[in-house]
Amino acid sequence: MPVTMTRGAFALPGTSLAFKTGTWRNTRPIHTHAAAPCHGACPAGEDQQEWLARLQEGRPREAWEALVAMNPMPAVTGRVCPHPCESACNRGQYDSPIAIHGIERWLGDEAIRHNWAYPLLDVPVRSQRVAVVGAGPAGLSAAYHLLRRRYNVVLFDAMPEAGGLLRSAIPPTRLPRDVVDKELGRILALGIEFRPRTALGRDVSLDQLRSEFDAVFLGVGAGKSRHWDVDGAVPADLHEGLGMLKEWLVVGALPTPNAVVIHGGGNTAVDLARVMRRAGVKDVHVVTASGLPGPDTEPDDVLNVVPRELEQAVEEGVVFHPHRTINRLIMRGSKVVGVEMVRLKKLPDGRGRKSRVSFEGTETVLHVDMVVPAIGEVVDPTGMESVLHGKDYIKTDRFGRIDGQAGLFAGGDARDWLKGLTGGTVSAAIGDGRRAAEAIDALLSGREAVEPVRPPIRYDRLNLAYYENRPRIPLPTLELEKRNDTDEIEGGPSGAQALAEANRCFSCGNCLACDNCWTLCPDNAVVKTTELASDGSHYVFDYDYCKGCGLCAKECPCGYIDMVPDE
Amino acid sequence: MTEPASLRSRQPRFRGLEAGHRACQGCGEALAARLVTESAGPDVILTNATGCLEVFTTPWPQSAWRVPWLHSLFENSAAIASGVEAALKAQGRRTKVIAMGGDGGTFDIGFQALSGMLERMHNVLYVCYDNEAYMNTGIQRSSSTPHAAMTTTSPPGKNRMGKRHMKKDLLSIIAAHHVPYAASASVAYPQDLRRKVRRAMEIEGPTFLLVHSPCPLGWGHDGTLSIEIARLGVQTGLFPLIELERGEVASVMPIRNPVPVVEYLKRQGRFRHLFSDGDHRAREEREHLQALADYNIERYGLKGDGDDPLDTDGADTVRRGGPART
Ligand SMILES: Cc1cc2nc3c(=O)[nH]c(=O)nc-3n(C[C@H](O)[C@H](O)[C@H](O)COP(=O)(O)OP(=O)(O)OC[C@H]3O[C@@H](n4cnc5c(N)ncnc54)[C@H](O)[C@@H]3O)c2cc1C
Ligand SMILES: Cc1ncc(C[n+]2csc(CCOP(=O)(O)OP(=O)(O)O)c2C)c(N)n1
Ligand code: SF4
Ligand code: SF4
Ligand code: SF4
Ligand SMILES: [Mg+2]
Repeated sequence: MPVTMTRGAFALPGTSLAFKTGTWRNTRPIHTHAAAPCHGACPAGEDQQEWLARLQEGRPREAWEALVAMNPMPAVTGRVCPHPCESACNRGQYDSPIAIHGIERWLGDEAIRHNWAYPLLDVPVRSQRVAVVGAGPAGLSAAYHLLRRRYNVVLFDAMPEAGGLLRSAIPPTRLPRDVVDKELGRILALGIEFRPRTALGRDVSLDQLRSEFDAVFLGVGAGKSRHWDVDGAVPADLHEGLGMLKEWLVVGALPTPNAVVIHGGGNTAVDLARVMRRAGVKDVHVVTASGLPGPDTEPDDVLNVVPRELEQAVEEGVVFHPHRTINRLIMRGSKVVGVEMVRLKKLPDGRGRKSRVSFEGTETVLHVDMVVPAIGEVVDPTGMESVLHGKDYIKTDRFGRIDGQAGLFAGGDARDWLKGLTGGTVSAAIGDGRRAAEAIDALLSGREAVEPVRPPIRYDRLNLAYYENRPRIPLPTLELEKRNDTDEIEGGPSGAQALAEANRCFSCGNCLACDNCWTLCPDNAVVKTTELASDGSHYVFDYDYCKGCGLCAKECPCGYIDMVPDE
Repeated sequence: MTEPASLRSRQPRFRGLEAGHRACQGCGEALAARLVTESAGPDVILTNATGCLEVFTTPWPQSAWRVPWLHSLFENSAAIASGVEAALKAQGRRTKVIAMGGDGGTFDIGFQALSGMLERMHNVLYVCYDNEAYMNTGIQRSSSTPHAAMTTTSPPGKNRMGKRHMKKDLLSIIAAHHVPYAASASVAYPQDLRRKVRRAMEIEGPTFLLVHSPCPLGWGHDGTLSIEIARLGVQTGLFPLIELERGEVASVMPIRNPVPVVEYLKRQGRFRHLFSDGDHRAREEREHLQALADYNIERYGLKGDGDDPLDTDGADTVRRGGPART
C-alpha cells in the first residue's frame, strides 16, 4: 500500500500496513496437526479427537461417519475394546481420561437406532473381486473397507453366521447378541456377498480362491487350542477353556464342580471364571503368570483383559493368583484333586530377553476337583498349510502382506502378532483388516500402500490454563445381585452425557477454533476465515506482519501452533 | 480465497488498531489497545498521551489507527479528551471519546488532568495501559512500578532491593471521585476486558479502565510469555481484577486457586535480584510481595468459594468455535 501524504500532513488511518513488520521475524508460527495420544494408541486407527470434535459441534451423525471411516463396528468395540486410547488420553494426566469407549458405544447404538447409512467412498466402481475368508472382526473389517472402496467382495465363513468370536465366545453379558446382529447385519447389507457354512480346506481350497479372485484375505482367527499338560500329566476328563465357553454359549450348560482352577490370563480365563461362578461353582480360581494392574507389574506383564472386567470378576468372587503357574497336578487315579502352584515373574535374562523365572520354595496347594487350561489358541492348519509353514500363526508385514505370496493377505488373531497389550483384540483385528484393504487396493491399482502418520503430541505441549477440571461421566453398572447370564452388565451413557463427555476433550494437536491466536496476537497477524483454511483450521498467519513473538503458539490450548525457524 | 491480504478486509471483528505498528514482539500494551478499540467500535475519537503506544502506532506519515486519533503532550490526554467531548456535546454528537495513556502519563504526570476530567463528569472513557514504568524513555520507575521491581531509576544494590515504594493504589483515588464506573482488567482475560470496555462505553459520564499490560523489554521476559505472566499477575493476587461503581466495589474476579507470587516473579528479569542466593533481603522481599498479594486477596475477598465460571480458572476456559458472545 503506497503511503500518500495528506494535504494537512496528517497520517491516514491504517497506513501502517505499508510497513511489513514480518521482516523482524526469525521464527514463524505454523499449524501442525499432530497425532493425539488416543489416536496413536488405537489399534483400529480411529482418530478420536476428530469424531469427538464433531460431537462438540453437536453433530453426532458426522461424528459417527468420521468414526466408521476407520472402524465399522463402534457398537461392538465401544463394549469390548480394552480401550488403550483411554490409558493414553492426555486428560488422564489432568483429571481423568475421556470415557472414549462409552461415547463410541453411544454413537454405534445411535447409528443402529436411526439406521444411518455407512458412507462409501466417492470413487469409480471396481471390477476386481476379492475373497475374504473368516467373518470375524478382521474379515468383516477387510470386507467393509474393500467395499467402501467399491470392490466386489465375497466373504466366506465356516459358521452359519458372521461374527467370529464376537458371536461364539464373548459372553452376552458383555456383548449382547442383538448388538452383534444389528451392527454386523448393517455391514453385510452394504453389498458384501456372504457365503456361510463354507470352510476353507473343506469346501474350498486356497488355490481355488487365488485363481478365482484378484486377491485373498485370510481372517480365520486362531481356532485351535494350544496343547497343555503339566509335566506330561493331563486329567482324563480334560475340558479346555474356550471350548467350554463356546459350548456354554450354544447349549447353555457347563460342568459345575465344587472348586475349579482355570489356568490362563486372558479373556477366555476371566470370562469362563465369571460364567462358572454364576453357574454356582463355589470356588473359582484363576492362576496366571501375568500380574494384576499395579505398581509391581510392568505394563507388558499385566493380565490382558479389559480392566473393568477384572474388577467385576473380583466383585463376583473370582479369586486371582497372579504371577503364579501350575507346577504339578495332584491326582487320585486319573482325577484331579488339587494343584500345586509356584510363584514366578517375567525377568530379563543375561541377554536382556524377558522370560519367566519360577521361585523354588514358594509352592502352595489348591484343593480343586477340576483344572481348565485357557492358555490361548493357534491357527487351525487345515487348508492353511501353504501359508503357515508349520508355524502357529501366519507371518505378515503390517499391511498383512505375506512374503512371497503376492495377492494373499492375512490379519487378526491369525497373524503373527508382536505380542503386546493390544494384540489379539477386536480393535486390532479391525485395524488389520483396514490396512490389508489399503494394501489390496494399492496392489490392484498399481500404487504403494500408505498409512498416514502424524507427529505425536505430548501433554506438555498443551496450555492447561484454558481447561478446567471436570469429572468424567459415570457409566452405570448392573448391581452384583442383578447380574445373570444374559443381561448386559455395563450400561452406556445418555445422549446428554455423551455430549458432555465429548466436551471434556482437549482436542490434542488439532485446532479447536477457540479464537485464542486470533484474539491474542498483538499484531493482528492472525486472520480468520469463515471457510476452512487450507490446513483445515479457520486461521491464517499473515507473515507480512507476524513478528514471530510466539504468543499464539504459547497460548494455543491444544498445541496446534509450532514456532519454526524462518526460512 | 484464503490470502491473508484479502481476508484482512473481511475480518468478523472491527479493527481499530491495524498491523504494521512498531511495538516490540509480544507487546502487552499493543494487544490491550487492539482489544480496547475492537470492543469500543468505530464511533469513537481517541486521545493519546505521549508514550510507547503513541510512538509505535504513529511513525509519521503512517498511522496504525483506523479511527480518529489525537496526540498532543505527555501530560494532557485527559484534558484534550475533555475538550473534544465538550465540542462534540456542543455539536449534539454522540461519538464517544476515549482518552488513553501509559501508567506514567496517568498515575504521575497526567494525574491532575485526569482528576479534573473525572470531577467535571466528562463523558469520557479513560484507559490506562499499565506496564508499570516509563517504558518509552528507557524503563524509569513510575508510581505504578511495583515494590521491589528493578528499573533504570530503581536499581537493586547495596541500599535498595529495587523500588523502595509501593505501587500507587490509583483505583482507590479514582473511586474517591465517585465516578459511575471504574475497573481493572488484564490482557490475560480478553473476554473480561471486552465486557468491561462495553460496559464503560454504555455509561454516560466518566469511566476508567486500568489494563495490566506486560512489557517484555521492561519486565525482562520473552515476548512469548506476555499472557502467561499477565495471567499469573491475576492468579497470585498481585493485580486484582475489580469493578467499582460510584466508589464501591461492585464485583471482583475470584481466584480459584491462588498461585504463590514467586511463580510470577521468577519469570521476570525485573525481579531477578529477588532470587540471588546468599542475600537475606531477597527472601524478605519475596515474602513482602507475597504479603501484598495476600492483603489484596483479603481486602477484596478474592478467594472465591467453589468453582465459578467467571473466576480465574473459568473465565478463560476455551470452547470449540470461540467464546460465546456475551
Ligand atoms: C472368551 C473371549 C473373550 C474375548 N474378549 C475380548 C474383549 O473383551 N475385547 C477384545 O478386544 N477382544 C476379546 N477377545 C479377543 C477377540 O475376540 C479376538 O481378538 C477377535 O475376535 C479376533 O478376530 P478375528 O477376525 O481375527 O478372528 P475370529 O473372531 O476368531 O474370527 C475368525 C472367523 O473365521 C472363521 N474361520 C476360521 N477358520 C475358517 C476356515 N478354514 N474357513 C472359513 N472360515 C473360517 C471362523 O468361523 C470365525 O468366524 C476375546 C476372545 C475370547 C476367546
Ligand atoms: C512533559 C514531558 N516529560 C517527559 C517526557 C518524556 N517522555 C515521553 S514518553 C515518557 C514515558 C511514558 O511512560 P508511560 O506513560 O508509562 O508510557 P509507556 O511508554 O510506558 O507506555 C516520557 C518520560 C515528555 N514527552 N513530556
Ligand atoms: S483429550 Fe481428547 S484428543 Fe486428547 S488424548 Fe484425550 S480423547 Fe484424545
Ligand atoms: S502472536 Fe502474532 S506476531 Fe506473535 S508469533 Fe503469533 S502471529 Fe506472529
Ligand atoms: S489458539 Fe485456538 S484457534 Fe488458534 S490454532 Fe490454537 S486452537 Fe486453533
Ligand atoms: Mg508505562
